[in-house]
Amino acid sequence: MTTRTSTKIIIRKAANSLVTLFLVIIVNFVLFRMMPGNPVNVMVPSDPRIPSEYKQKIIDQYGLNDPMPVQFVRYIGDALTFDFGNSFSSINTPAMSLVLDNLRWTLVLVGTSSVLIIVIGMTIGILSAWKRGSFLDTGSMTFSLFFYAMPTFWFAMMLVVFFSTEWKVFPSDSALEYGTRFTFTLHSIGDLLKHLVLPVVSLTIGTIAEFVLIMRSSLIDVMTEDYIVTARAKGLTEMRVLRDHAVPNAMLPMVALIAITLAFVVGGVFQTEYVFNYPGIGWLTIEATYSLDYPVLQAAFFLIAVVVIFANFVADILMIYLDPRVRLS
Amino acid sequence: MTTTDESPLDTDIGAAPSSKGFLGLSESTIGRLRLTAKKSLNTWRIFRGNRIGMAGLGLLLTFFIMAIFASQVMWVLAQLAGWSTAYGPFDRVAVVGQGTPPSQAHWLGTDIWGYDILARTIYGSRVSLMVGIVASAVSMGLGTAVGLFSGYWGGWKDEVLMRITDVFLVLPWLVLMIVLATLLPGGPSVTKVVFVIGITGWSSTARMVRAQVMSTKQRAFIERARAVGAGDYYMVRKHIFPIVFPLVFANSILTVALSILSESTLSFINLGPNPTEVVTWGNMLEDAVSGHAILNGLYLWIIVPGMCIVLVVLGFTFVGYALDEIFNPKLRKR
Repeated sequence: MTTRTSTKIIIRKAANSLVTLFLVIIVNFVLFRMMPGNPVNVMVPSDPRIPSEYKQKIIDQYGLNDPMPVQFVRYIGDALTFDFGNSFSSINTPAMSLVLDNLRWTLVLVGTSSVLIIVIGMTIGILSAWKRGSFLDTGSMTFSLFFYAMPTFWFAMMLVVFFSTEWKVFPSDSALEYGTRFTFTLHSIGDLLKHLVLPVVSLTIGTIAEFVLIMRSSLIDVMTEDYIVTARAKGLTEMRVLRDHAVPNAMLPMVALIAITLAFVVGGVFQTEYVFNYPGIGWLTIEATYSLDYPVLQAAFFLIAVVVIFANFVADILMIYLDPRVRLS
Repeated sequence: MTTTDESPLDTDIGAAPSSKGFLGLSESTIGRLRLTAKKSLNTWRIFRGNRIGMAGLGLLLTFFIMAIFASQVMWVLAQLAGWSTAYGPFDRVAVVGQGTPPSQAHWLGTDIWGYDILARTIYGSRVSLMVGIVASAVSMGLGTAVGLFSGYWGGWKDEVLMRITDVFLVLPWLVLMIVLATLLPGGPSVTKVVFVIGITGWSSTARMVRAQVMSTKQRAFIERARAVGAGDYYMVRKHIFPIVFPLVFANSILTVALSILSESTLSFINLGPNPTEVVTWGNMLEDAVSGHAILNGLYLWIIVPGMCIVLVVLGFTFVGYALDEIFNPKLRKR
């Protein structure tokens, strides 16, 4: 009985995700093609030095003179195969492969920070909800709100000011020493780690506040539930109440809020990469806005959308298994 | 909340001649005004007891005075410090190309374009606050409208609206803003930034309002109103909107904080308002990066605008949280 309802819910969630994905493709198409004026002028770099044959080639390549419905159908095909054409600024490189190249660096950064954000953020959130009103709670709330209010890019700049300019402890530029490529040698790995410190600190501190605040309020909600009172009445120690009854239930909204948290992480990644010239997907996207490299911009936008929609879908599925109330309602 | 105590404002309105109407207002209007005044006064009483809320309000008042009276503030400072003129944000007061450390003439120093950093910081509050408030109003209006109709109608209309909301909810705000700001026609302008931030930030409001409307719809008085023949428009305006409004209001103040952060981020990556026309804290920081403030040791050029952003955002967040605690029944102390 329950498995049938969960299958039904999963199918509905999957359908919703697909609709969202389809809408993103429409948004992508509309934004990049149907803007006022000639789409050719938008898609083709309007630099007079570019020979007209090249412009013609781009027009042919994207079929910009075909009727809109034809273009749209082809666009869906292209999007589903992740084919957004060649980058404007790196000639003869497909935009998507450029994005995927940079994505590896972003994953290194995000992976490291995520572990820190989850471990530290949850610990602080749980402690301050548990000791609500204590000195620790007030302290961590002040800390969280302060960093919540702080633009991540500015925090990153302050790190550069102190740690790489004043005290010269860590480098502040790029992900590796200038002109070197990553190899699996001790030197290269050490170099990478050294370059990773400040971006990771920036991303972690910049995003952790959101996490702490959500975790705290969710645990406070749970702590007022009747089953907590029951658990206490049974004579369980505070530690066991917290570990076995409060925290597992407080985790549920946390999973459901992956969407919002992820949006903040992506925002933080973009700002961090930009300040540190870290060659990830955020840095690439912002560079693409300067060089008006539309294929790269589209590819990055679409890839991020796909990843985020998928993560949300996974979170929804997890919720079905973690929270019986979702199945029953 | 206590409703029995008489407020001075209350008796004032009550003293107005009520039979003929006060100031030509009809009796029902006066009644409504009276109720609104009473409610606001009560809210203010609770708010006054909230220390964090009051701290936020203090911060905001400071920055609002700074923004509204920017030129007067500069004039007063000039009189106090004995500067020859009150510097404007685009007055070149020093040699272009190097920047100077703080001095008697320029308390925060000058940047490498020869601008006075203090003047730019003070004038910068104008656009930052304005963009934050207007963009938040746009996204709140849009979110409330979508949430109201979606929650009230239900059915396939709700389904369609919610799928669209999902797109905006799921896509990371910064990425969406970057793409919109790059692609929308027209050069960089304040209007465009307001539009970009507004169109990106409405989705969570729509969700919240929709949930609130759907639970309100279940309540008995709605059924009663429908039974006596209330139309859709009347129902939404008279019964549903008033219940949703306080939450939206508290939320819109939190949204102002996010909008200000968005504006500074956009300005920082060169997608904000035109930096040759207006100065914002975000584009001051962008200037600082392109002007190698760090290498030149002009740290105040980075620290001061950044701290202003932090303080304003904190101000709005504090006030928003305090109001949320008052209006959101879930958050009231149990």
